[in-house]
Amino acid sequence: MRKTWRLLAVSLAVGAVAAGAAACGSSSSSSGSSSGSTTSGSSSVLVGAGSTFVAPLVSQWEAAYVKTPAAVTITYGAVGSGGGVDAVTARSVDFGASDAPLTSDQVTACKSCVQIPWALGATTVDYNVKGAPNNLKLTGKVLADIFLGNIKQWNDPAIAALNPGVNLPSTHITPIYRSDGSGTSFVFTDYLSSVDPDWASKVGTSTQPTFPVGTGAEHSSGVIAAMQATDGGITYAETSYIAADNLDYALIQNAAGQYPKPTNSAVLAAAAVGTTRSDGTIKLVDPPASASAAYPLASYTYVIVPESSPKASTLRAFITWAISSAGQSLGEPIGYPPLPANVVSSNAMLIAKIK
Amino acid sequence: MSVQPATSSLPLTRRTRFGEIGLRGICGAAVVILVVVIAMLIWEVAHGAWLSFSTFGLGFITSTDWNVVTNQFGALYLLEGTLLTSVFALIIAVPTAIAIGLFLSELAPRVLRTPVGLMVELLAAIPSVILGLWGIVVLGPFVATEVEPWLNQHLGFIPLFSGYPSNAGVLPACLILTIMMIPIIASISRELFNSVPSELKQGALALGATRWEVMRQIAIPQVSGGLIAAVMLGFARAIGEAIAVAQVIGSHNASPFGSIFKPAATMASWIATQFNGTATDLQRSSLYYLAVILLVISLVTNIAAQLIVNRFRKRIGGRA
Repeated sequence: MRKTWRLLAVSLAVGAVAAGAAACGSSSSSSGSSSGSTTSGSSSVLVGAGSTFVAPLVSQWEAAYVKTPAAVTITYGAVGSGGGVDAVTARSVDFGASDAPLTSDQVTACKSCVQIPWALGATTVDYNVKGAPNNLKLTGKVLADIFLGNIKQWNDPAIAALNPGVNLPSTHITPIYRSDGSGTSFVFTDYLSSVDPDWASKVGTSTQPTFPVGTGAEHSSGVIAAMQATDGGITYAETSYIAADNLDYALIQNAAGQYPKPTNSAVLAAAAVGTTRSDGTIKLVDPPASASAAYPLASYTYVIVPESSPKASTLRAFITWAISSAGQSLGEPIGYPPLPANVVSSNAMLIAKIK
Repeated sequence: MSVQPATSSLPLTRRTRFGEIGLRGICGAAVVILVVVIAMLIWEVAHGAWLSFSTFGLGFITSTDWNVVTNQFGALYLLEGTLLTSVFALIIAVPTAIAIGLFLSELAPRVLRTPVGLMVELLAAIPSVILGLWGIVVLGPFVATEVEPWLNQHLGFIPLFSGYPSNAGVLPACLILTIMMIPIIASISRELFNSVPSELKQGALALGATRWEVMRQIAIPQVSGGLIAAVMLGFARAIGEAIAVAQVIGSHNASPFGSIFKPAATMASWIATQFNGTATDLQRSSLYYLAVILLVISLVTNIAAQLIVNRFRKRIGGRA
């Protein structure tokens, strides 16, 4: 009996000492370095997290960049724009990605982070309605009314008026939105706020807006899955899902009265007339009527990098490569047209801030 | 029968003394670690909630806004969601679980007791995220295509059962919570019914009571304190369940009392979906405030459970 107690006491003591040593070791390394989970000193790995919007493009970059002479492995977690901002603020990743500009609270929390537009893309409105054809036409006002709950059925006169001769079923409309912090939600609500003053006053623009009706789901994959499971469902997500999942998508009327498809050229037409906001980010939604072929729901997506980072040179090299024709050409086939030349040149100044 | 005193009257050798002190030290250290962790948790949550508490005060609990754009936050719909889903699940789960416990302890043929008992334990062991996935893929569509139209047809005059059927809403969340509660309450009930002294049951049977009367008048009153504790345990699990509920409830800040077919949210599921990527500090702080409310409800539930159990213990005559 005594022997058992002694054995127990000794093993527990050893265990306690081991645990203490491990705790001391890990706490000193996490408080000391600012690179968190990555091996300190080694710059052949870059860890990032954030926007699901840009995730398909980043995975193309991951595969290609490791084969370049730089030979850096990129690891990216598509946790949503909000999650990416949180992660880079906590410095648990080397870079974050978000489709939405940082809010003032986030700017303060991130402590000198720079936002660089590194890809261009479009948000599409996808729907699943049995008995209705693909490419239904919708205006921004009708879209806002759908998501406000004013238009409740697919055969509503407002939708029928835009789609003459189309057989619309009387199915109930279920708006499906992103429940997590989402840059795509920001782009979508920015557009709706621009085209519908009712939306601007009732809901506004945000990464986590309070949608008055509908069901929430997490991440783009979640909203697409929910839409596919709901007859009458309508949601918003990046362009790449249309081809990947063979989805029906709506044609949204732009300010010139046209219904452009979300092609690369339509997105570039919108990028040509973008307006710069006060925080340096660029607004592309609801382009003016002068851009007659512009897609109304285009957006830049940003990489968010701390101005002082232990991997500054690796980050500068990666971002410069990503915004160059080498990186941008990988995006063209999957719905990410190349950045306009003026954005690439103004980015050089922003990249230089990373030290 | 004499009880061995804690300190022996034998002369203490150095080895025995080391064992004594070592044992006390290790056990004491374990308790201290536990208390420290709990204190740190409470401090962290309270500290995080401070901004929201100082902005909204107790009005947070009665406000229904949750708007990141206007920076107005309130917990009322989330509280309603938590309470409705948990109580609804309790109403279905408690009779079912007690019935299962009774079946396993009294009524089942001996050969069935082990396999069925094992299946109940297995249900308890299913990770909540798996139940949530099952909820999205199987339960949600089943509820939307079979259960909700049926309820609408037969009970649609009650506002709670009116509305358009939906994959994601309060009803699938309640059903998932029921599935989570049943194994906990059932296995505890089974143990409790097994612990009823057989002399009591046999005496009653000998006096001519039917099995039903034995259950109703002997077994259940005997263990009612423990049953209530089991129910409270199930309730505590339900109010805290975040992941599985978040996947099927639809994450919508609206009153669940309008219709159980519509999407809503509970406090736990709201924290789970909103925490990653808060846009403003006040939003983050409001999520911590929700956590504080959840902690308070858990504490009140546990204290109430203790009080009720003690009262029942006294009523039965001091028998533990």
